[in-house]
Amino acid sequence: MKQVLIVDDAVTVRLYHRHLITELGYPTSEAENGVEALEKAMQASFALMLVDVNMPKMDGYRFIEEVRKNPDLQSIPIIMISTESEAKDIQKAYSVGANFYLIKPTDPKRLQDLVTLILGQSKQEI
Amino acid sequence: MALKRVQTHVQPTSVATADAAQGDQAPDWQTLIAHLQDPQAHTRRWAARELANFVHSVPHLFTQLDRETDLKVQEAIFCSLQSLGGPQVVEGLIARLNSDDAGIRNTVIEILQTLPEEVAPHIQDLLAHTNPDIRIFAIDILQLLAHPCAPEWLLHVLAQEQHPNVLGTAIDRLLELGTPEMLPQLNALQARVAQTPYLKFALDAAIQRIEDTSNAG
Amino acid sequence: MPASVLQITDAEFARFRDYFYRRTGIYFEDSKRYFVDKRLLERMRHTEYYSFRSYFTFMRFQASGQEFQQLVNCMTVNETYFMRERYQFECLVEETLNEIVQYPQNKARTLRIWSIPSSTGEEPYSIALSLLEYWPLIEQVDVEIVASDIDTHVLDRCRRGLYSDRSLMHISQDIRDRYFLPKGANQWQLCQDIRDSVLFTQVNLADLAQTREYRHFDIIFCRNLLIYFDEPARRRAAEVFYDALNPGGFIFLGHSESMSRISSLFKVRKFNKALAYQKPLD
Repeated sequence: MKQVLIVDDAVTVRLYHRHLITELGYPTSEAENGVEALEKAMQASFALMLVDVNMPKMDGYRFIEEVRKNPDLQSIPIIMISTESEAKDIQKAYSVGANFYLIKPTDPKRLQDLVTLILGQSKQEI
Repeated sequence: MALKRVQTHVQPTSVATADAAQGDQAPDWQTLIAHLQDPQAHTRRWAARELANFVHSVPHLFTQLDRETDLKVQEAIFCSLQSLGGPQVVEGLIARLNSDDAGIRNTVIEILQTLPEEVAPHIQDLLAHTNPDIRIFAIDILQLLAHPCAPEWLLHVLAQEQHPNVLGTAIDRLLELGTPEMLPQLNALQARVAQTPYLKFALDAAIQRIEDTSNAG
Repeated sequence: MPASVLQITDAEFARFRDYFYRRTGIYFEDSKRYFVDKRLLERMRHTEYYSFRSYFTFMRFQASGQEFQQLVNCMTVNETYFMRERYQFECLVEETLNEIVQYPQNKARTLRIWSIPSSTGEEPYSIALSLLEYWPLIEQVDVEIVASDIDTHVLDRCRRGLYSDRSLMHISQDIRDRYFLPKGANQWQLCQDIRDSVLFTQVNLADLAQTREYRHFDIIFCRNLLIYFDEPARRRAAEVFYDALNPGGFIFLGHSESMSRISSLFKVRKFNKALAYQKPLD
């Protein structure tokens, strides 16, 4: 079963994203910051990650850089979900290796459509 | 067997004489300030670590933080600033909440969370800042700040705040800090957040948790 | 309300769980509910707060953070005995050390291991026994073990090396026969050779001057210590460990601990038997 890793330091954001993803039928796991997310990513297999920008200990940009450097994790699709909406923020997300960018507060339909698109697509590859 | 028998000293004998800039002895202040700009990152890191012993190194540590790109040196600078503490450190940290470097911003928040007395006088200004990102960071600081006014400050945000992400962050923190006395204010928000699904979800979760907690008596 | 009818509701449990997770990285599954409730109620009675709400507010805003530390103490059972969390010692001798000796800069060099806190010695001596019994390369590679604690009383006990049956419950009869001497009822003394192979020192991780000479280690065991530190002390300790390690060196933390609430300076490394944290090689 394809599992989704939700990385955000706000507990209600984790709950909300979990709610939206499980509605689609995918199980989730959660982490509060980039270091914890790396620990989880190394101990389980994920088909997608939703990643916040501002988090303690390791921010979202650095987390994505670490994921893209790691041969076991580097091909996992990543949606960055951030409060920051300026062009430079979006550019930065793509430059470190995010595949998609959504702006908070999360629009439920956009997130669910995107997750369906990504996980539906990669079904054939696995 | 090749487990070595105990030595009398913690340092391995082979390297005890090396490490000029990083040896057993504490170097003097002038040397450390010079080392803070050394081309070698490990020399800068060691200088930053040792400068925690000198109160008057605060401006130098901030100057270096602003040009430093190596994470291990940044961390050592932050660690020394944290142990030095004081109003000068807090003001310097607050000035860096809008750093372009997300790692710097977030470490600044972590350190400010541990300095409640020095941070408290600045909180209301930060919560009223024109930049919504700074207002979010102010709420992040409140999250762990061991200060009795934290719930009151959050309620003020609920009443005044218009930006959905700032409001969302405040509601998020009330999941932990909320008390039954806050329920009228939270319920009054219902109409304002009805059009924003995440905010509605977060508010419902916060209210639900407070109600479940208070029903227990 | 009489203390005997105190209870924790589902919502209170959830609130406590979120808070504890954020502070420590430890997440209590629903299956731990009884365990958590019992300890929370103990602390509430002890501090004389007879509702969860009043207790939680007190604990949450106490400037000293003492009550939070008390909670951490009772939520994390900390008992010491030989080969506790055996999988980490297995990881050390089956995987981690073999990687370290392969780095070119480590050829023909003495490897160094730091165990902190030493407590009463079970951990550093478990490392010594694991190396001798289960690491074939010990025939060719020299290893130094340093074990430190802030408490000088436990250091004396380490040097004496006297242990009860209970301490040795996970030690096979064969190893007990070869390395321990019976000393009266239920007491065993570790043989002199092994006791002589560990250097015991007193150190306070918060003291910059004291930690300055702790350098050039390849492995650090620091299990069930940082969880008891507040955030500034944890940050300082992580910095001390970073400086104490050689590039490429590893830290093992306790089984319920995670570097995710402490530092991002180390690389998370997944071995077959355990997670470890590595100081980057560059």
